Amino acid sequence: MEVTPGACGITSKIYPLALPRGTEKFCELCQGPATLQCTKCRVTFYCDAEHQQADWAGIHERICPLLIPIRTQSLCSLTKADQIHVELKKVELMGICMSVAQSKLSERKYEEALPAAQFCLRCSMDVHSPSANHLIPAYLLLAEANFGVSNLALVTELLSQAEWAVLKSPECGHEIYQRLHRSLGRLQVATGNLDAALLNFANDIYHASEAYGLDSTVACRGHFLMADVFAKQGKTAIACSMFSEVAGTWHTHLTKHIETHIQNVQPSFDKSQHTEVDETLRTVLEFWQNEDRKNSGQIALVAHCLAMLWFLGGDSQKALGFGNVALQASQLIPNHDLTEPIQTLLQLVQNPQREQHPGCN
Amino acid sequence: MNAAVTHPHTETFLPEIPPNRKKRRKGSYYSRLEEPLKAGLVSEYSTHIPSIAEISKFRNSLKQNICVEILLEGFHRTFSELFYLLNSDRDRRESAEPGTDLARQTPLEEQKDKLETMRRHLSRAEQAERTRSWTVVCEQRLFLGRYFSSQEDLWLRLHFCHSCADREYGGRSRSATEARVHLAEHYLQTGELEQAQQQAEICIQQAEGGDWLDSDGQPLKLRGAKALWRIYLKIADPLLDAEEYRKALALLHIGYDEVLKTEDKQLEAEAAYGLGLTNQRAGDHKRAKQFFNTCMQIYSTLEDAEGLVKSYMAMAKSLQSEGNIDETVQWLEKSADVSLSSGQQHRLVDAYLRLGKIYNERSQSTRAYEFFLQGYEVACDVGDVSLLDQIQVRCSSMIVTALFQIFSVNFGPFVSQVIVGTLRAHRLMEKYSADIRSATPTALQRLLTWKDTRQPQDFSADDSDSAMD
Repeated sequence: MEVTPGACGITSKIYPLALPRGTEKFCELCQGPATLQCTKCRVTFYCDAEHQQADWAGIHERICPLLIPIRTQSLCSLTKADQIHVELKKVELMGICMSVAQSKLSERKYEEALPAAQFCLRCSMDVHSPSANHLIPAYLLLAEANFGVSNLALVTELLSQAEWAVLKSPECGHEIYQRLHRSLGRLQVATGNLDAALLNFANDIYHASEAYGLDSTVACRGHFLMADVFAKQGKTAIACSMFSEVAGTWHTHLTKHIETHIQNVQPSFDKSQHTEVDETLRTVLEFWQNEDRKNSGQIALVAHCLAMLWFLGGDSQKALGFGNVALQASQLIPNHDLTEPIQTLLQLVQNPQREQHPGCN
Repeated sequence: MNAAVTHPHTETFLPEIPPNRKKRRKGSYYSRLEEPLKAGLVSEYSTHIPSIAEISKFRNSLKQNICVEILLEGFHRTFSELFYLLNSDRDRRESAEPGTDLARQTPLEEQKDKLETMRRHLSRAEQAERTRSWTVVCEQRLFLGRYFSSQEDLWLRLHFCHSCADREYGGRSRSATEARVHLAEHYLQTGELEQAQQQAEICIQQAEGGDWLDSDGQPLKLRGAKALWRIYLKIADPLLDAEEYRKALALLHIGYDEVLKTEDKQLEAEAAYGLGLTNQRAGDHKRAKQFFNTCMQIYSTLEDAEGLVKSYMAMAKSLQSEGNIDETVQWLEKSADVSLSSGQQHRLVDAYLRLGKIYNERSQSTRAYEFFLQGYEVACDVGDVSLLDQIQVRCSSMIVTALFQIFSVNFGPFVSQVIVGTLRAHRLMEKYSADIRSATPTALQRLLTWKDTRQPQDFSADDSDSAMD
């Protein structure tokens, strides 16, 4: 820790002669020949400092001590009980990696998510057999991380693996199908295969509705992705209709959140979704603002959503900005029923002390 | 080798081979064989390489396929609605008690026709919604409401009719108004009278201006008024039971006014009859008779024998309650005549029985007997056990109670015979009752001989008949 100021872990050079004969060490990230070693756990190796730092930031900092009992197993003769113990440790490790990767993904830190996702996949392969359907979530996670860094070739490969695994075990739940179809759809959008993307998103929405319900945010995101494709295809009527549905769903969700927020003071909103929702709503807002026929009602609705979102996220500056956009749009329509809630929200943002008193106008 | 050997043979055996083909490929027995084979295979492969969508049709459930197809067409609202309906169907069946009809119903998601119909019409409705053609939206939804008519699909009918009638836009269109009639009739059937009344009233209000016809070509206004009248009758029923006659009559008069507006004679007669009966129950026989008169006039212009008899009988009842027996008898005889000529056996029996009862009360047992006998014979002709039971009930008041009670336990038709038998006995006794009253020795002598010689058969049907003659 004292070597690098960014707390990147400490490494030392590997001395091949100090290792048992015939053991060759590989880099944790790229599987190339290793030259460095983590001095804390002494069981993790890297080809260079860059990979070591990436791994440290990604996952190693969190799991460094946990790796020791697992990776030193071959040195001692193990009893059955010990083996089970190690297996349990691995499962625990896998869970940690998955949650770390997921939270990094939702924060849009794809680079950092990569090591965690990769380790997660390796762990799952180790714990389950390499062909088991338990690997599907790990494949999907890694694919998503790679999608973030635009490594489409690898994404394609990983998703084919996942698809193959799903084909072999069609009994896996709607959640898995939903994630697979969404990843495939996004890949196809990125590669410009819009029709195939639509098919995948349609399946995505179906499975999301089965797993989480019609009004769930997951299904809503599916609708958004699909609407985006329709907009790209120039099918504006469909896109308009779907975008307004998305905005409507989010409006209901956020209004509910605001209500509980006012009553409980404590933030009740799921932070991990924040970036995704923000992106969704901004795209929708942009869509309406670029429309030839300005639909003030929709602009007001979406801007109101964004204002609520940022208010819940604690950024009063942005909340104020979007709130004003919403107010302007709503005032273009006489007697719009959104005007009053928007004004209420703006007052809330400006006088944060008063938010403890529910029911103030 | 083989090919080379058979080659000349095939040449000679084959009838006519076009020369140009022979030119093109020399001695190519195999190639000629392969050509069509290849072509067939290739064409089959090239046109039938299944797409991902086609493959998933086989792999996935019908529900998923339909949902995905709908979404691909961009009809996301149709998807949401269909998905919601399929899930509520599943919930309905799962929450039902095992073994009930509901639990045994075919799941909606397995009925392809219904799914396709819903998909087609909901998509059309959504398309129309985008272009803001609200009447089309309502038409499509009404179609679906009418499409689901079987008992197990009533909830779907209700869903679509409501979704048609309760729209913010287009809710005053013809289709939405018709949907309200369907709803009113449905709620009338299920006994949710408040809802029914509400729907029927809105329907009549909306149909006021236009000459709308429903999908079967019946005027909507008339259908609404008919439904409303029946709903009011049902609502009035418990009021009458609670003897709140004023309330009931006020309600029915509102309904009657609506009926008058439709200028439909049949319905007007029906309503007048209902109002007459209500007044009768309320004890206002004067007004009741007025309504029955209206009723009779309409029925006679319509030449509706059934309606006529019905109103004659009702009139007779009111007159009887007023104590006007002579006129009562007149109306009853009239109704008996009409029922006889128009073949309404049930009414005929009823008329005969009432006449018999009246005569019996006036102690004219001969006439009473005639009518009861006639009624009994007609009832026997019809062969209706319930009618025979009715005779038994009607006559019960005049029968020696003990005798009746003994037999009435299980032998409905049999008891009727007993009753008739008793009547015959009365007739027989009449012959001798004069002798008893006169109390002369000769009369006494006659009675004594009868007592000595009489046998059980004297009371049997045949004997008494001959005695009567």
